[in-house]
Amino acid sequence: MRSHVPALGSIVAVAGVLVALPFLLSSYNVSLAAQVGIYFVAVLGLNILTGYSGQISIGHGAFMAIGGYTTAIMSRDHHTNLVVTMLMAFAICFVLGLIVGLPALRFSGAYLALVTFALAVSVPELPLQWSTFLGGTGGVQSTTTVSDRWIYGAAWTASAILFLLAWLILRGRAGRAFRAVRDSEIAATASGIELSVYKTLAFGISAAYAGVAGALFVMATNGFAQPTEFSVILSLQLLIGAAVAGLGSLWGILAGAAFVGLLPKVSTSVPLTGTDHGRDVVFGLMVVLVMLVLPEGFAGLLARLKALVRA
Amino acid sequence: MAVNRKKLGALLCVLAVTAAAAGTAAASHSGTPGVSKKQIVIGGTFPFTGFASAYKTIPTAELAYFGYVNAHGGVNGRKIKDIQLDDAYNPAETVPDVHQLVEQDHVFAVVGSLGTAPGLSTWAYLNQNKVPQVLLATGDAYWGNCIHRACDKTGIKKSWTTGWQPDYPGEAKLYAKYILQQKPNAKIGVLYQNDAYGKNYLTGLKTGLGSHANQIVDAEPYNFGDSAQVVIGHVGALEAHGADTFVIFATPTAAGQALYGESAVLHWSPLTILNNVSANRVFMLSYGQAGASLNNIVSTTYIQSQTVTPNSKGMKLAKAIIASTGNTGLEQDFAAGDNNLVYGFGVAYTFVDALKHAGKNPTRASFMRALRHLDEKSNPFVYPGMTVQMSKTRAFPMEQLIFEKWSGGGTGDWKTFGKVLNSGH
Repeated sequence: MRSHVPALGSIVAVAGVLVALPFLLSSYNVSLAAQVGIYFVAVLGLNILTGYSGQISIGHGAFMAIGGYTTAIMSRDHHTNLVVTMLMAFAICFVLGLIVGLPALRFSGAYLALVTFALAVSVPELPLQWSTFLGGTGGVQSTTTVSDRWIYGAAWTASAILFLLAWLILRGRAGRAFRAVRDSEIAATASGIELSVYKTLAFGISAAYAGVAGALFVMATNGFAQPTEFSVILSLQLLIGAAVAGLGSLWGILAGAAFVGLLPKVSTSVPLTGTDHGRDVVFGLMVVLVMLVLPEGFAGLLARLKALVRA
Repeated sequence: MAVNRKKLGALLCVLAVTAAAAGTAAASHSGTPGVSKKQIVIGGTFPFTGFASAYKTIPTAELAYFGYVNAHGGVNGRKIKDIQLDDAYNPAETVPDVHQLVEQDHVFAVVGSLGTAPGLSTWAYLNQNKVPQVLLATGDAYWGNCIHRACDKTGIKKSWTTGWQPDYPGEAKLYAKYILQQKPNAKIGVLYQNDAYGKNYLTGLKTGLGSHANQIVDAEPYNFGDSAQVVIGHVGALEAHGADTFVIFATPTAAGQALYGESAVLHWSPLTILNNVSANRVFMLSYGQAGASLNNIVSTTYIQSQTVTPNSKGMKLAKAIIASTGNTGLEQDFAAGDNNLVYGFGVAYTFVDALKHAGKNPTRASFMRALRHLDEKSNPFVYPGMTVQMSKTRAFPMEQLIFEKWSGGGTGDWKTFGKVLNSGH
C-alpha cells in the first residue's frame, strides 16, 4: 500500500496461500478464514480513515449494519444476486459516509469520536423503529444462503479488489492530500488542499469498505441480518483491528483482521477461563498487551524488524 | 528486506502444512457424528454473558442433570458430553458457534439453544445439514409450524427443529379465555414488546378474544431496552384509554418497570395479567423489591418450582442433584424458586428420554423419530398432570398450562388454581 514500489513478493505469497487454504482446511476453519477476510475489508477501510487522513471513528459498525441490511433486504424483496448487493452496499455506504463526514469538518479528536459513537449506538435502533421494512428485532432473512467456501471466496476476492483500489487511491493525489491533512491541516490548506473535500472523501471511502464488510458479514450469518449483530462492540473491534494493524502495511492489516476475527474464538479455548466472561478477559488483556508491546501496531513492528535486518 | 521476505515465506509454508494436517485430521471420522461407544457429544449456544445472561441458569441445570445421568451409567452405556458455548444472544456469534459445534466438535445434535433470533439465524443451516436442532429454549411458534414448509424464503423445510415449552400464542389464547370469563365487559390494555416475540403474544390474544377483540382499547408497543420512563409512559397511556384489564407481554426488565409504574407511580389497580416468561418467582421478588405491588397478578406456568411443590418427586430429585454440584449460588437460586433451573432439568430429561427411545445405536434420524413420537407422562419437572408429547399432528412438545395467582406481597409466592388447561393448536 506504500506509494512507492508495492511489496509484490508479499502480495503474491499471500494470494498463493489464500488460494490454497480452502483446499487444505476443514469447512469450519474455512469459515474462520472467511471471517478474517471480512474483517480485513473493514480494517483496510478504517485504516484509510484513521491511519491516512488522521480522523477517528468508533462508529464503523453502523456502516457494516447498513451494508448488511442492504444485502438482506435486496435479497428478501428482489432476490438480487448477492454480488450485486455487495456493490449496492458499497455505493450506499459511500454516499452515507460522505454525509457523515460533514460533521468531521467541524469536529476532530475526541469530539469526532463521540459523533461517530452516536452513529454506532443509533443505527442498530432503526430496525426497531421501522420494523415492517427492517424486520424489527426479529431480523431480515435473505432468500439465498451460501456455503462457507463461497463466502471465503467472496470475502478474499473483495479484499483483493479493495486492496488494489486502496493502493491506487493512496499512491496518488488523494493519498498525498490525506497525509497532508493528517500531519497539519493548516499546512495542507496553505498548499491548496481543499480540506472539506478530502476529509469527507476519506469518510466516504472507509464507510463504503465497511458496507462491503457488512454485506459479507450478513452472508456469513446464513443471510440473517439482525440488530444485535451490529452492536457498539463491533465498532470497537474494528478500531482495535486498525490499531493492531498499524499504518499502511498489508501484513499489518492481515494481523489486525486475524486479531479481531480469530482471538475471540481462540480465547474461549484457553483452559483457565471457562465460559463465563473468560473470553472477554483474554481479549481485553491481549489488546492491552499488544498496545504496550506494539504501540505502532503490527506495521510498526515490521518496520523495526526491517531496520534491524538492514543494520 | 530480502531476508525478511524469505523468512515470511518459510513461515507461510509452515502454516500451510500445519493447516493441511489439521484438515485431514478433522476429516477422519465415520458413523453417526458425535456417537462413539462410550460417549455421545451434543452442544448448544446460550447467553452466558450479555443482556440475556439472567437465563444462564438453564444450561447450568442441564449440565447438572446430564452429570447425574452420567453418574448412573449414561444412556445405553454412553456418557453425555454437552458442549455449551456463549453466544451472548448475538446471532453473529451463534452462527460461528454452531458451525464449530457441527463441523469441529461433530456434535450429534444441537440441544436446548436459547433465544429466538439465535435460533432463526442457524435453523436453515442445521436443517440443510440434517442436524437435529431440538428443544430450543424459546416459545415462538416457528419451532412447530415449519416442519412441512420453509417459513422463510430459503425454501428449506425445518423438520429437524423442535421447541419444548408451550408456544406464546397458545398461552395468550388462555389469557383471552380467562379475561372473558372473569370480566365479560373488560376493557383490555396491552403492553407488548415491539418484536416477533411480543407480536406473537398479541396475535394469540386477539385470536383468543375472537369477536371480542374490539375490547382491546389500546395496545402499546415498547422497544427492548427502553428506559423505565418510556415503559411507564406506555402504561399511563393504557390507563388513559380507560383500560380496566392490563395484559403484559414483556421480558423481565420491562415487566418489572411496568408493574412498578402501574402500582407505585400511577396507583392504578386493574386486573393484571403477566406472561409466563416474566413471571419467574425470582424475577417477581426483584420487582417487589423495586417497589411494585404484586398481589393478585395472574399468570400461567408449566413447570414446577421449589417453593410451590417442594415435596414432589421431581423437586426432591432436583434438590439432590443441585446439592451434589456444590454450586452454592445455584442452590440459593433454586431455594428462592428460580424455575428456570427446573426448566433446564425438564429439557434435559426430555432429551435423555428421547435418546433412550432412539435405539441402541442412535442416528440423527432415529433420534428425531423418537422425539417426534415422544409420549412422556413421567417428566418429574413439569407441572403435575402435564405430559410432554409429540405426534404426527402435534409439533409442540408441551401444550398445557395452569393458571397461577400471586399473594403475599414482596415475599409472597404463586399459587396455582383451576385445572391443567390445553393451550394447543
